[in-house]
Amino acid sequence: MLSRTAEGLFWMSRYVERMDNTARLLDAGRRLDALPRQDGATSSEWTSIVIASGCSDSFPDDPESATSTTVREHLVRDETNPSSIVSCILAARQNAKAVRPSLTSEVWEAINQTQSELKKHLHNEFDRKNLNAFLDWAHGRAALIIGSVLGTMMRDDRYGFVQIGKWFERADATARLLDVKYHVLLPKVADVGGGFDYLQWLQILRAANSATAFRHAYGRSPDAEGVVDLLVLNPQSPRSLRTALEQLDFELTSLTKGNVGLQQKLLAQVKLQSRAIDQLALEDIFARGLHEWLTNFILETNNLARMTAVAFGFGAIPEPDAS
Amino acid sequence: MYNEMFRGSGLRDEYAVIDAWLKKHGPTALLDRQAEAEEMFRRIGITFAVYTEGSDPDRLIPFDMVPRVFNEKEWSIVERGSIQRAKALNCFIADVYGDRNIVKEGIMPEAMILNNPAYIKQMNGYRPPNDIWSHIIGVDIVRTEEDKFFVLEDNCRTPSGVSYVLQNREVMHRMFPDLFEGGRVRPVDGYGELLAAAMQDCAPANCPGKPTLALLTPGQYNSAYYEHYFLADLMGIDLVEGSDLFVDNDIVYMRTTNGPQRVDVLYRRLDDEFMDPEVFFEGSTLGVPGIIRAMKAGNLTMVNAPGTGIADDKSVYTYVPEMIRFYLNEEPIIENVTTYCCERPDELAYVLEHLSELVVKEVHGSGGYGMLIGPTSTAAQVEEFRAKLIARPNNYIAQPTLALSTSPILTPDGMSPRHVDLRPFVISGNQTSLIPSGLTRVALQDGSLVVNSSQGGGVKDTWVLSDRTSHA
Repeated sequence: MLSRTAEGLFWMSRYVERMDNTARLLDAGRRLDALPRQDGATSSEWTSIVIASGCSDSFPDDPESATSTTVREHLVRDETNPSSIVSCILAARQNAKAVRPSLTSEVWEAINQTQSELKKHLHNEFDRKNLNAFLDWAHGRAALIIGSVLGTMMRDDRYGFVQIGKWFERADATARLLDVKYHVLLPKVADVGGGFDYLQWLQILRAANSATAFRHAYGRSPDAEGVVDLLVLNPQSPRSLRTALEQLDFELTSLTKGNVGLQQKLLAQVKLQSRAIDQLALEDIFARGLHEWLTNFILETNNLARMTAVAFGFGAIPEPDAS
Repeated sequence: MYNEMFRGSGLRDEYAVIDAWLKKHGPTALLDRQAEAEEMFRRIGITFAVYTEGSDPDRLIPFDMVPRVFNEKEWSIVERGSIQRAKALNCFIADVYGDRNIVKEGIMPEAMILNNPAYIKQMNGYRPPNDIWSHIIGVDIVRTEEDKFFVLEDNCRTPSGVSYVLQNREVMHRMFPDLFEGGRVRPVDGYGELLAAAMQDCAPANCPGKPTLALLTPGQYNSAYYEHYFLADLMGIDLVEGSDLFVDNDIVYMRTTNGPQRVDVLYRRLDDEFMDPEVFFEGSTLGVPGIIRAMKAGNLTMVNAPGTGIADDKSVYTYVPEMIRFYLNEEPIIENVTTYCCERPDELAYVLEHLSELVVKEVHGSGGYGMLIGPTSTAAQVEEFRAKLIARPNNYIAQPTLALSTSPILTPDGMSPRHVDLRPFVISGNQTSLIPSGLTRVALQDGSLVVNSSQGGGVKDTWVLSDRTSHA
């Protein structure tokens, strides 16, 4: 396969997944913002969303002063922000168009139609009601595109590059979503583990579409340990970091052929990281500090994505925003 | 004016099925279905880009649903005439970059070649496999009577439009399967096979086995990108951009996820001057440095070869009937339109005297730009053009305005005749052949003679009826 084709499939898939995840983050922000506040405590939900989206640098104001309006504008419409939903859709379609011979007509039409429909949505002002409808639409389109890939593409290398794009992006997004909680200030230190803390974790779960899954898997109310276990270590969760690494290991193993040195090096590295998370215990994460562990994970995963690009002969992946 | 749907005052038998279909549905319902078809085109992404007009560059070519029909006898004229022309044009290009017998025999002045901007001196002495330079030739044909055809121009560089031929049929087939029942319309499915086979036939001398084929596109911002994708997909070959290719030791490779892979035959949809910064525009980033060297070393065949533009120039056009006699020893099956070369003083004098009756075109122009259509122009426009002609006579040719045939289209006010032309695509490999259809372009403005898609022309599905039913 042409390296450029692999690159296009990889990025098309990353942008589709990112569109979905940016929508999830906005959803998390909206839910956190709606939590009842005590005694005039300052809110930091929107700041945390900006940081977690990796958009601190592109955000036009000081992230500390972020409000629902400015964040919404930056994460939905702002075309100068490569992670905004609009940018993701445009970039996904542009990449898809460049690799059209490698896509089934179902996948192409799902992506092409998303851009056509986007135009209609952008006529609306994004007040609370419209925003919800828009985020629902974005989730639906992502599900349609991802489903079309699963349902119609041959399980060959092209499919493989679509999959690794998705898993790299999802690993990054889940880690960032978990980190939101670190940046959201609790009103008082004593609130850790309290009712407000619980509500915040619940919103994170909801944004990860995992609140129901949590109850099924753990049979209790959400708490820090449970949420981290589900989204980092649980091998059954489609959004956990462990699942992402396992899938990357699986896909890269089948993409790697022959004796290309860089590919062998990449394969060794992905197996190393995959094995490490298999053997990791929840206590190890909290001993290191959740925020520190997540920051390191994001860096390692991005490094792996860069190695992947180099090993298959396509361009450099941009430096991660290591916040 | 000849309306192709009728013979004398009666409906032609060939159109009986279409007439019944029109009556059954009625123009209003069909216009709704046409909007549905256009939505289908947009969803599939069959668009062409026009960048001169701001806003959404991805535009649809308007599609008119009423098919245009040729019977076997009419098609035979088009087919034999186009094949004859393609053969003669390939002989001519080989001669230009070879012995120049046509000059030696005094048929064409050498200046005609040397002063032509499409002449590429770097190609002198090169011999492509099978001596075929232009593997895909689009011949633009018009019609004035039931069996009277003229060639308006030849397209020997990278003619486009064949994707519409196939997709128009596909859409009609999907929406109105009844029309095609009984196999009376000859299918167009063979194009991909035909083109891929021709590319394989032309594998370069040093090709190490089964040739690897690829299609080179300038990229997704090119107006014909959809077609590039479509044809690569149809043939199951890689769609590459210049940056995917590199030349090492005079061999062309594409960069793949598993290292370099050799390319033997390249259907390139990139203009000559962008192909190789070593030979042409130094600044071109669309092309591939060294690719001309690889071609000359016998390691790559380019489809079409560089330099083929020498054969489709409007001044060279006037010599094509002579070429047919000279190279093939045959009489032209389809005539040229009478053409006045304004560089010849006597012909210029005639043109200036009859300006308001003639069509005047730039010798090297294309796309329907920069032309004067005398009968439909204002006196001021005619005078403006007169000044241009006197200033640079050798930049223009003139032709009488033909009474082009018409074909009915759907309009909100019912059926209405519009002028049409036809572009069949001739493929040259071991054989020279074409599929039984072509691109019918239709002027959508009442009375307009300009069918170019960049000027608001539309397209139609084009049928060739199989022999056993065409005279039913």
